[in-house]
Amino acid sequence: MNKTLLMLTTAACITFAGSAWAEDIKVGALMGVTGPLANFIPPILNGAKLAEADVNKGGGLLDGQTMKLVVADSQASAQPSVDAAGKLVNIENVVAIMGALSSGATIAAANAVAIPNGVLQVSPTATAPSMTNLEDNDYVYRIVPSDNYQGKVLARAVLEEGFKKVAITYVNNDYGVGIGNTFKVEYEKLGGVVTKFSKHEDKKNSYRGELATLASSGADALVVIAYAAGSGAKIVKQSLENGFFEKFIGTDGLRDDILIQQIGAEALASSFFTSPSSPSSNEATEAFHARFDETFGGGSDKPFVDQAYDATMLIALAIQQAGSTDRTAVKNALRSVANAPGEIVGPGEWAKARELISAGKDINYEGVSGAHEFDANGDVAGYIGKYIVEGDSYKQTKIFN
Amino acid sequence: MIDFINYYLIPGITLGSIYALGAVGISMIFGILRFAHFAHGDLMTTGAYIALTAVWTLGLPALAAIPIAVVGTALVAVFLDKAFYKPLRDLPSIYTVIASFGVALILRSAIQLLWGTDSQVYVVGFQKPLIFFDSLRIALRHMQIIAFTVAIAITLHFFLSYSKTGKSMRAVADDPELARIAGLDTEKIVRWTWIIGGGLAAIGGVFVGLDTDIHTNLGWNLLLPMFAAALLGGIGRPLGAMLGGLIIGVAEEICTFPIMDIEIISPSYKSAIAFIIMLALLLFRPQGLLKGRVL
Repeated sequence: MNKTLLMLTTAACITFAGSAWAEDIKVGALMGVTGPLANFIPPILNGAKLAEADVNKGGGLLDGQTMKLVVADSQASAQPSVDAAGKLVNIENVVAIMGALSSGATIAAANAVAIPNGVLQVSPTATAPSMTNLEDNDYVYRIVPSDNYQGKVLARAVLEEGFKKVAITYVNNDYGVGIGNTFKVEYEKLGGVVTKFSKHEDKKNSYRGELATLASSGADALVVIAYAAGSGAKIVKQSLENGFFEKFIGTDGLRDDILIQQIGAEALASSFFTSPSSPSSNEATEAFHARFDETFGGGSDKPFVDQAYDATMLIALAIQQAGSTDRTAVKNALRSVANAPGEIVGPGEWAKARELISAGKDINYEGVSGAHEFDANGDVAGYIGKYIVEGDSYKQTKIFN
Repeated sequence: MIDFINYYLIPGITLGSIYALGAVGISMIFGILRFAHFAHGDLMTTGAYIALTAVWTLGLPALAAIPIAVVGTALVAVFLDKAFYKPLRDLPSIYTVIASFGVALILRSAIQLLWGTDSQVYVVGFQKPLIFFDSLRIALRHMQIIAFTVAIAITLHFFLSYSKTGKSMRAVADDPELARIAGLDTEKIVRWTWIIGGGLAAIGGVFVGLDTDIHTNLGWNLLLPMFAAALLGGIGRPLGAMLGGLIIGVAEEICTFPIMDIEIISPSYKSAIAFIIMLALLLFRPQGLLKGRVL
């Protein structure tokens, strides 16, 4: 009796699993749902979901199968990210991974899971310079410019604001070390003086000791390269409380609404931020943002929404181009759908892309956040925006190309 | 010199107070129930979020929400014991330790479900510290945290030395067999251990939220230094754990003080200090400062 029951259950499981596999094509979304990036996630995830919805509405993947995003929590740090990526690849059996967000989590997941298992990984946000030279057998891509670029732009922006002497504090991980060093080199090359260059550990309660030392170095402003919810907001808050600094310059990690919520907009009036951005508004991006706000009730101006949509879209296009869910074939197809030449396909044009691919035409996806032409390292050139605080959110005042 | 006090010593004592409040529970549970309770950090998180709810719904200031957080978290702790740890009590303690890992994950996920994953604050904005004698700067909330912790330490000392329950707890920690033979109600003592441990963890959690911000990994991030503090003070010695917490908190902060403008230890190595102290202690004085049980 027991044996029969067991066999029946097993059979049911196999049938169920089999049918699920035939209907849905799973794509992993490795997101820092908890941890220091938690506040960024809801709109970013919505970006990815909109891409998923566009694909499914426009005819689905391959022969009309449903694309299914499977979310796993990387906690925006290395070890949990490896665990989450392992779950996506080995248990959920995803075709490709969109993510992770922070550079440390992305590199760890790539090295431990994506590269050894031969799974395509496209990060919408990882910016560390060290990703450029990752030995990835061409499996790892990102669609934001490297911090080599953001660091250089930041240096120019800081000097344009008239800050000749700054102190720098950066978080001790791939992100902080990468952008901190490129900023320092470029800033000094352009004639700026770095009075103190100090790294700090994430997740501590007090940074007053470090800040006192930084303040005594006589800088005009403090460059904070950290995640707002990890250490950034505490650093800004404790600096203001003790009168160490009044002017702050932050990167994309600090440009988080949580900073304004916790500090208040007034105290941030003389600060500014840089962040990877999208090309200056064109019809396609405006239409996309309007559609996003309509679907989710706002949030299209939040960081990395565009990139999450594009990364998910690129993976879907690569699967369609590959004509199968074979992981290697999907990886090999990515460049041909992302890079020129080819017929240009924009956001929301899934049905058109499907037709072109089935007609055997070469396509070139030009996304919301840029054209996404991958170079040999899987990097893209891009745009960096400069932001100030206005009201209770951030406003882009300039785009560097 | 005044910089040393303002920016290193006082934040150190504040941090130490928070460690102390968490370490008391860890040390008592270790002493009386004989297992390392890895869900203790998440009890702190629970307390911080219960207080946050009281701040939101009743409009209380965070300090006034402490009693609600204490009661709520103590109830959660007693429930966790009944549901998860009591059935395992007769098995080797490794089962309970692993179970407490599971409980930690359950608590954290439940908090994420109920309150979301965004980081929150009790009060928006920032406060200038109070300035004494033109140079000594102390944030009001740091004075509150330190004063409360001192009051708790004194109360705890009198409770353990003079009340019947307190004396029974010490007896069980010293020799559970003998205590049972002498007719002490072990279950009642276990219950009180969870009430006190959970309640103090909640206060610690609220203090973290008051000092910085509230997020779902708040307690988990503090767990290792709190264990170091419990070991430093001597296992089963609640006041030793408080002393240990204070030492580790202060050591983490002041170790980065630059002497003659030279930073001897980079601030990015702060976390390592707790572990260096713990390792040195296990090597040279395994019974802890106040002669606790040797592991």
